[in-house]
Amino acid sequence: MKIKYNSEMLSGALFSIISGILFLLIPSQIVTMEKSSINAQTVPKIALGGMFIFSVLLLLQGIFFKPKQEIVFDQELYASRGFKDAIRTAIYIGIIIVYMVLFKVLGFIGSSIYLIFAILIYYGARQKSYYIIALTTSALVYLIFAVGLHISLP
Amino acid sequence: MDLILSGLHILLDWQILLAIPVGLVVGIIVGAIPGLTSDLGIILTIPLTYRMEPTVAILVLLGIYVGGTYGGSITAILINTPGTSANAASLFDGYPMTQKGEAFKALTMALYASTIGGLLSAFALLFFAPPIAKVTLLFGPAEYTALAIFGLSVIAGVSNKSILQGLIGACIGIFVSTIGLDHISGTMRFTFNNLQLRRGIDLIIALIGLFAISEILMKAKYNPKTDRKIVSASEITGNKVTKEEYKRSRKPIAIGTITGIIIGATPGTGGGLAAFIAYNQTKQMSSHPETFGKGEIEGVAASESANNGACGATMIPMLTLGVPGDGATAILMGAFMIHGMVPGPMLFKEQGDILYAIMLGLIVVNISLWFVGKFFTRFYAHITRVPFELLACIVLTFCAAGAYSTNNSLYDVYYIFIFGILAFFMRLMDFQLVPVLLGIVLGPLAEMNFRRALILSDGSLSIFVTRPISLAFLLIAFFSVLTFAIKNMKEAQKERIQRRT
Repeated sequence: MKIKYNSEMLSGALFSIISGILFLLIPSQIVTMEKSSINAQTVPKIALGGMFIFSVLLLLQGIFFKPKQEIVFDQELYASRGFKDAIRTAIYIGIIIVYMVLFKVLGFIGSSIYLIFAILIYYGARQKSYYIIALTTSALVYLIFAVGLHISLP
Repeated sequence: MDLILSGLHILLDWQILLAIPVGLVVGIIVGAIPGLTSDLGIILTIPLTYRMEPTVAILVLLGIYVGGTYGGSITAILINTPGTSANAASLFDGYPMTQKGEAFKALTMALYASTIGGLLSAFALLFFAPPIAKVTLLFGPAEYTALAIFGLSVIAGVSNKSILQGLIGACIGIFVSTIGLDHISGTMRFTFNNLQLRRGIDLIIALIGLFAISEILMKAKYNPKTDRKIVSASEITGNKVTKEEYKRSRKPIAIGTITGIIIGATPGTGGGLAAFIAYNQTKQMSSHPETFGKGEIEGVAASESANNGACGATMIPMLTLGVPGDGATAILMGAFMIHGMVPGPMLFKEQGDILYAIMLGLIVVNISLWFVGKFFTRFYAHITRVPFELLACIVLTFCAAGAYSTNNSLYDVYYIFIFGILAFFMRLMDFQLVPVLLGIVLGPLAEMNFRRALILSDGSLSIFVTRPISLAFLLIAFFSVLTFAIKNMKEAQKERIQRRT
């Protein structure tokens, strides 16, 4: 399968869908008792309406005026450097999402230990000093916030 | 003159001379931690000042305010994350300079511009406070709306490649700024029945997500074995600002300082807006605008002189009228009251000597900033030598802790990562993040005053063009956008011709 695209087409399509959905949600998400024509819905309507119009224009610009790149879904693509990089990036985002979840479950110290090991292993760091420095710093951060600023982290 | 002399007499106290550097150090450290602002630093220090003399106490707090405003530029320059919202414009050229191996140079220029901007602002406070306050009193909702639109016109300048993408970014920013409780009608907006969303999304949370987290994600492909550049210590600190660079930074610093003083003296605005406007004006007036955004030292000079230029000026409406100019001055106003001084016209009559000691002290604070900042610059510049894999761990844990501390809420930690991932994908699609930031910063100012102005004018839009200051801002904004549009069209035409030949 072959696809021709550019970043304008992708972003134009994506943001026109998002802004369109959010615009339709305005009446249910902003229930205002104001009777004047300028009310709590006005600026969100301008922002989302503007976003929709500009996104459609961007999509059209991408389709008709900008050079496109071609992507072919075959074995060669899956073996390419670009595909491997995309997988690596997805793993990296996954590490961060898990950290976000663990922040609530394990608290600051526990989740930071996970994050430090996950990131350093991801980058293939073998130096023990890196692990020690990163762990000490996160302990210091905890102490600075708890003792110095009287903010108890979870 | 007598008041100035008696103020000077109060100022010459060893406690004050010791207190100022302490305040500056605290401010720089707090400002340089993403998520912590000088506001928080001042709040946390107020209880420690209860037993101090009023002059000493206020000058410690002013040291934190000034130091924090400068400190935020350190992380903006080094890790593409402004420590405070006032330093957001400093990353346009500050971070590209770091990427070019000129971190020390950028930090030195930021310090130099901050010192000059802050110093001139302190002089403005000392000598011109009453007339400046009178001018800013002329600002009504229409003028504030026009000012916000003028600020939004910066989008044209920072969306070099695609104005459409810049406009979409600004719309996203404005939309994000509307989430939560509408302060005019009390209506909930896009909270999806989640109580945590009622207070909306803090600017600093959006900033951390947009810049710090997305920057870390952008380095997902980084390979320590092949991509790491080993830079020696002497290489970093040896790259100093040249005489020629100091010389050509004079004009940007002048633009930044004047903008900072005018915007800073206008209540409800702040150093962030001043920095954006100063940056845009400097770029427009430059003979080489194409170098801006790619590590141009003049860009750092303009934005940093503007945000520190706003520091002293924000005190003008507070001291003369009793109206705080921004969050930090509102907290400072509280500190004044705690120490038995009620800001307003009577303060000059009743406690003039102490007030002049404080205003003169602000000059000393800004001079001291140069010396204290010099020490920190040398130290911080070496952060660029830290391996990225280690820096990523440290920055992420700092950001999470800083985000949590903003409102003691786990949701803020989630927001920074959500914003970070969104910003990462936007960057992959060639979007600039600055328009999003501008929308978030200026959205509330524009919306609140737009609605107030229309209530005042019974829904007539003519209010924006019949008031001279408002009309002036709108015209400047229009011509600013027009200049960039014509320039971009010419460049596009040139490119097309080049491609054909």
